[in-house]
Amino acid sequence: MSLNKFSELFEDLDSSNSTNNKIKVLKNYFLSNKPIDSSWAIYLLTGKSNKRFVSGRYLKNLFSQVYEYPQWLIDKCYLKVGDSAEVITLLLKNKNTSRNNHLSNMSLNELLSKTIPDLSKLNVDQKNLEIKNIWESLPEDNHLIFNKILTGTFRVGVSIGLITKSISKLTNIDEEIISHRLMGDFKPSIDSYQSLINKNINIEELNSKPFPFLLANTFEDKIFKYSINDFQFEWKYDGIRIQLIKRSGNVSLWTRGQELVNESFPELVEKISYIKDDFVLDGELLVWNFNEQIAFDFSFLQKRLNRKSPTRSIQIKYPIIFIAYDLLEINGRDIREIKLENRRIDLEKYFSKWQNKTENNISDIFKICDLIYPKDWPDALTYKEKSRENNTEGLIIKKKSSIYTSGRKKGIWWKYKVDPMQLDAVLIYAKGGSGRRAGLYTDYSFALWRDQELIKFASAYSGLTNIEIKELDNWIRKNTIEKFGPVRSLKPEMVFEISFEKIQFSKRHKSGIAVRFPRITKWRKDKKINDADSLENAYELMKKIS
Amino acid sequence: MRIKQENLIRYKDGNLYCELADIWIDPRKPVKQALITHAHFDHFSFGCEEYFTTIETAILLKERVGDNIKIKMFDYGEEFKINGINISFHPSGHILGSSQIRFIFAEEKWLISGDFKLEKDNTCKKYEIIKTDFLISECTFGLPIFKWDKTDKIANNISKWITNSPEKTSLLFCYSLGKAQRLLNEISQTNFKGNIYSHQSIFKMNNCYRELGIDIVDTLKIENENKIDQLRGSLILLPPSLSKGSYIKNLKNIQTAFASGWMSIRALRKRSGYDKGFAISDHADWDGILEVVKKSEAKNVFFHHGDSESISKYLVEKESINVKFFGEQI
Repeated sequence: MSLNKFSELFEDLDSSNSTNNKIKVLKNYFLSNKPIDSSWAIYLLTGKSNKRFVSGRYLKNLFSQVYEYPQWLIDKCYLKVGDSAEVITLLLKNKNTSRNNHLSNMSLNELLSKTIPDLSKLNVDQKNLEIKNIWESLPEDNHLIFNKILTGTFRVGVSIGLITKSISKLTNIDEEIISHRLMGDFKPSIDSYQSLINKNINIEELNSKPFPFLLANTFEDKIFKYSINDFQFEWKYDGIRIQLIKRSGNVSLWTRGQELVNESFPELVEKISYIKDDFVLDGELLVWNFNEQIAFDFSFLQKRLNRKSPTRSIQIKYPIIFIAYDLLEINGRDIREIKLENRRIDLEKYFSKWQNKTENNISDIFKICDLIYPKDWPDALTYKEKSRENNTEGLIIKKKSSIYTSGRKKGIWWKYKVDPMQLDAVLIYAKGGSGRRAGLYTDYSFALWRDQELIKFASAYSGLTNIEIKELDNWIRKNTIEKFGPVRSLKPEMVFEISFEKIQFSKRHKSGIAVRFPRITKWRKDKKINDADSLENAYELMKKIS
Repeated sequence: MRIKQENLIRYKDGNLYCELADIWIDPRKPVKQALITHAHFDHFSFGCEEYFTTIETAILLKERVGDNIKIKMFDYGEEFKINGINISFHPSGHILGSSQIRFIFAEEKWLISGDFKLEKDNTCKKYEIIKTDFLISECTFGLPIFKWDKTDKIANNISKWITNSPEKTSLLFCYSLGKAQRLLNEISQTNFKGNIYSHQSIFKMNNCYRELGIDIVDTLKIENENKIDQLRGSLILLPPSLSKGSYIKNLKNIQTAFASGWMSIRALRKRSGYDKGFAISDHADWDGILEVVKKSEAKNVFFHHGDSESISKYLVEKESINVKFFGEQI
């Protein structure tokens, strides 16, 4: 019965927007299923199994072949649904084949440890026959799960944090401990599940626990009235916040979302373990441009974040650095109650010791953040404006006399972000989206004026709400001038505010400019197309920045 | 590709029109004479001089538009003549009073399916198979990914959805005429025995149905002073137009769902903004359309409302049925 239970769990998780609800259904699943099935469920839900046994195309071809269905019709359906596994699931409902349902008692364990892996051992004909056989023997409600696992597309809106929370609730064990246990090579087995819920916590687990993070508030101009000397200034990096813990030889990298990310950054874990002292550092992890000594964009970091056990070549292609900005614990002594300016002295002292005393060179992956020393507040503003040049988001301002508390406490840290660059542009093309956005026009191209002509300058697909997307989709369908395959050219009528991070000359584009991370920040219904910006404005913007 | 001028029924200004009788079918503009298949707002226009409908549709129309309209009413199967053309209404199974319309002229039979379904619905007459030479059919759900579950199964799922969260108020959004009454009828036969509330617009239609002899379970009217505690564990039926507004903002601890055929697609479910979707429709699914085409024995078929391209191509290729097109825009 447990495959049915898992299908129900999937359906429940998929149809709930409430975190509490998701935790509730997860908890109930773990309570009422066998440890082995629970452990497979965790394995699936945490995305550890994304192996593709057959492709979506393969599955569609197979269906077409087995049930003599025209391929073009399946493709039509796909356009509406946006997911091969789901298309086949829906089409299977429509097959009046005599079902024998003799697999109705299959467990999740059986499916994942035997049925699906065994498919790989078969030749093509046997494999096709076996998949058909499973389709016709498995109860209808389990088809989606089966097809999704088969095509390696099993995903549901559940984060590892949510799994952690629900097991923590179930067992009354701290989330950090569960998180630690879920880290690493979680192999589904009765044992792995038992140790996950084991109430006895060992020393190593206790040692990996991070401190609650201190968070920055948005800048308030009331601090202008204080002396500039009361504050410490740092660049605000656009990476991920990391608490780096080394205690009794073990290294843990914690994100602010209570996720342990050791596996994504093994080279950092290794280098840190060479240092003799024990410590807890607060800092930022970035993909670093070592030639120019500035950070690469966040998109580079994403290439590393989503990947566990990165290959050597990935490590070289996207070299990371950890930039520490605070020392919270040293050799077992919690120093969070010491003033920031004194913690900084300690941080500098220990870092230079580690640099000199550690046998392996650590500075190619670990440094401490440079401080900025503005003369006065206007000077601080100048620094803020310069932050684009070194790929930072602005400044972080910290009160020198503050202690390290937790949460978003007022009057301790401020983030002072540089304003995004913006232009008002005219929507000229739209293209259909995929996945959740299937069947809707969600990829847009925008243009700026050059004399009487609209020249394309950026494409963007994020920034609109679902309601706006629907409204715009409706408008697009009614205002199409021409169709080129999936792309429609549109009547120039709609103006949008486009924000972006960087603007530079580009020979590759007709407009002569390229922008980074363009996104829609406002639908300017109040503006006519003649109010949109010109390329001239864009060039001005570029001049101002360089 | 259009129906030629000499066809008995054709598209004119985006509406179906029979020139010989000077009568329009479900026109969306005021005309002299209008045949109305059913009382949904997108199937009739205000201000026509004279309406021709079934008795049930006439009563529902009057409830929606007001009493001061001129309607000629007919029983199902009753033939009447306009300019030598025999016209009759036949049950289409869509909602109470809904009908297909048949035209017979000079031994040539035309059938307009209207909106129809073949699934079980205790609140209206079952679809009647009518043989014809020319069929004009809707194809709202004209792709094989649409295959409706049994009505009882969906009703049980809805019941489970409510009873699994007894601490919440369950808001089920659905069209106020037809879908709401069908759901009420089905839900009253499930294990869910809690209170059911319905919005004013649904409440009105429920009464109409009852007056026409349809069994609809009693529901409570939503009042402003309904206490949250009182609503806990109960079901509230609301029209979809209220899903976004301030109306539901005042309600605490709710879960929402939408009852519509489109909810069978996960991407649409997710995008809809409702917590849950129940794929229940008053339109025919793929198999339903194919069955009606086949059993009508029509030699010529036209499709409208929906993606007619796929189902037309399929019928031509697989069943060698002569499918013609007419652009709705022309």
